[in-house]
Amino acid sequence: MANEHKWGMVVDIDRCTGCQACVVACQAENNIPINEEKDFLSRRAKQWIRIDRVWEGEWPNVKARFIPILCQHCENAPCEPVCPVYATYHNNEGLNVQVYNRCVGTRYCANNCPYQVRFFNFFDPEWPSSLWNQLNPDVTVRSRGIMEKCTFCVQRIRRAERTIEGQRGEELSDQKLKEGNFMPACVTACPTDTLIFGDMKDPNSEVSRRSEDPRHYKLLDKLGTDPNVVYLKKVDPHVVEEAHD
Amino acid sequence: MSLKMKLIPLALGGLLTTAVLVLVAIFVLRAWWNTPFEVFGFGEAPEQPIAFPHNQHVQIDGISCAFCHRNVTEGDAATILPVEGCLFCHATIQGDQAPPEVAKVVAYFNENRPIDWKKVHRLPDHVQFAHEPHIRFLTQVQGLSIEQSCSTCHGNVREMVEVEQVRSLKMGDCVDCHRNNQVFTENKDITDCTTCHY
Ligand code: HEC
Ligand code: HEC
Ligand code: HEC
Ligand code: HEC
Ligand code: HEC
Repeated sequence: MANEHKWGMVVDIDRCTGCQACVVACQAENNIPINEEKDFLSRRAKQWIRIDRVWEGEWPNVKARFIPILCQHCENAPCEPVCPVYATYHNNEGLNVQVYNRCVGTRYCANNCPYQVRFFNFFDPEWPSSLWNQLNPDVTVRSRGIMEKCTFCVQRIRRAERTIEGQRGEELSDQKLKEGNFMPACVTACPTDTLIFGDMKDPNSEVSRRSEDPRHYKLLDKLGTDPNVVYLKKVDPHVVEEAHD
Repeated sequence: MSLKMKLIPLALGGLLTTAVLVLVAIFVLRAWWNTPFEVFGFGEAPEQPIAFPHNQHVQIDGISCAFCHRNVTEGDAATILPVEGCLFCHATIQGDQAPPEVAKVVAYFNENRPIDWKKVHRLPDHVQFAHEPHIRFLTQVQGLSIEQSCSTCHGNVREMVEVEQVRSLKMGDCVDCHRNNQVFTENKDITDCTTCHY
């Protein structure tokens, strides 16, 4: 059964201001518990999308660089073959899927992920009672002992399929995803259009066109994971000059 | 007593234990794979705050399922008519002539309290279910009426006094039907895990 879609993302680092709106949106959409200071200190904070900050140069000519990092949905994902129970696999829409109820918590996948975007639930998630009603009913609350990660907001894609293809009988395209507010939460929240989501199989989609941009590269490309997330390099004439010195 | 005589109660005890264990095992396995046997209150419908009879409303009053389960053709949850909705009819059908249970409905309304119905069908939290695509498929592709489409999964609610679960609705049950009807969904793989788990 051929599926017509291959979901992907383009991240234009030139535009990222490091505002963290995507991180907050993801947290709210996907029922991720609140990360407190102690979670960060014990390195058990869960952030399906995070902004890596990189300092470049020597003081006083330092620059802060921001790179949003999320699950790369690799075509050749290192996390998949190591799962002993097939809880993580690649589906025919280009998504790297984590089936929570299938997961037994060996954590092999997180160890094998070069991007560090898989998170293990060391504890049961907790929210203050005032936040119970904001939990998203479309997303499973993950209990203790299982792995979780970015899903490209598959719940929104499924809802879009049901509404656009099923009820209206129309083709699903990124334009329609955008109109119906079905884009992943981080993409909808991004104020500078750094994150662009769409169908890589459709040659006219915005992601396909943008991923041809001469600035494009993939994170840790030499590992051959073939990610579905394409980054557009930061153009910084100043640094290019220095590099030529 | 000879040794043989001594062994008889032991053997009988062993047989009895084995029989009990086998029965328990059968019960557990059946509950796991299907719905539990209806003994000791297992597998029976939960007790509702108001004894609401479906047969009275559907069979005798002729109300359609989608009148009370309004969202069933539009969204994920079927939803149940709020107590204000019951008052469409029970504003007039009440008082001495009406069955005593109706007074409870009116009391809920007067106290401005929602009726806390107990869930009869419950999928685990890690399963996502949506009514709308199923009703669409069963009515448009299989040509059933809305009420017949409900019967596919919920049995003959028309004649039930108290709704109870008749179909196992376990994963095997769902996936069997999805696999058989894959041909009707052109570019969507409805046996993919992300159809139901995310
Ligand atoms: C379209 C009209 C209508 C609606 C809407 C309606 N009912 Fe009724 N209901 C009736 C009629 C008619 C009877 C039968 C009354 C009689 O036997 O005198 C009845 C009877 C009942 C009875 C008593 C049954 C018995 O024999 O003990 C209960 C309880 C009841 N309804 C609850 C509800 C609740 C709860 C709702 C809202 C979810 C509701 N009804 C919505 C028409 C309606
Ligand atoms: C008068 C309104 C009314 C009508 C008409 C009606 N229902 Fe209901 N239904 C209810 C109420 C109220 C409940 C909750 C009480 C209960 O579970 O018995 C309910 C519960 C249910 C449940 C169990 C929900 C659960 O908790 O899992 C199912 C299934 C159901 N109805 C199916 C149907 C079907 C199928 C029809 C059409 C043949 C129908 N209903 C017609 C009011 C109605
Ligand atoms: C494909 C099988 C299927 C069909 C067809 C189906 N249901 Fe359901 N229904 C379910 C399952 C499974 C649940 C439990 C959902 C859950 O726990 O999340 C459910 C739950 C319900 C509930 C209670 C919870 C809720 O969603 O509000 C009602 C009421 C209900 N169904 C009514 C109906 C009616 C009315 C129809 C026909 C128009 C219908 N169902 C058709 C499978 C089905
Ligand atoms: C009577 C056969 C049948 C049964 C039983 C059934 N399904 Fe389905 N289901 C279908 C069909 C056919 C579709 C595709 C409808 C479409 O999109 O055109 C579907 C679609 C779905 C979808 C929507 C997929 C999307 O596009 O988002 C979900 C979720 C789903 N089923 C879950 C379940 C679950 C959970 C159960 C078991 C409780 C179940 N189904 C039982 C036939 C069935
Ligand atoms: C048509 C919907 C559907 C699809 C597709 C589906 N599942 Fe399920 N799955 C269910 C339902 C419903 C349950 C809950 C069964 C129950 O009530 O215990 C479930 C439960 C499970 C469980 C828990 C088993 C248990 O006994 O509690 C696992 C593990 C699981 N599914 C894995 C998968 C995997 C892996 C895939 C993909 C190959 C998948 N499922 C595809 C509907 C589905």
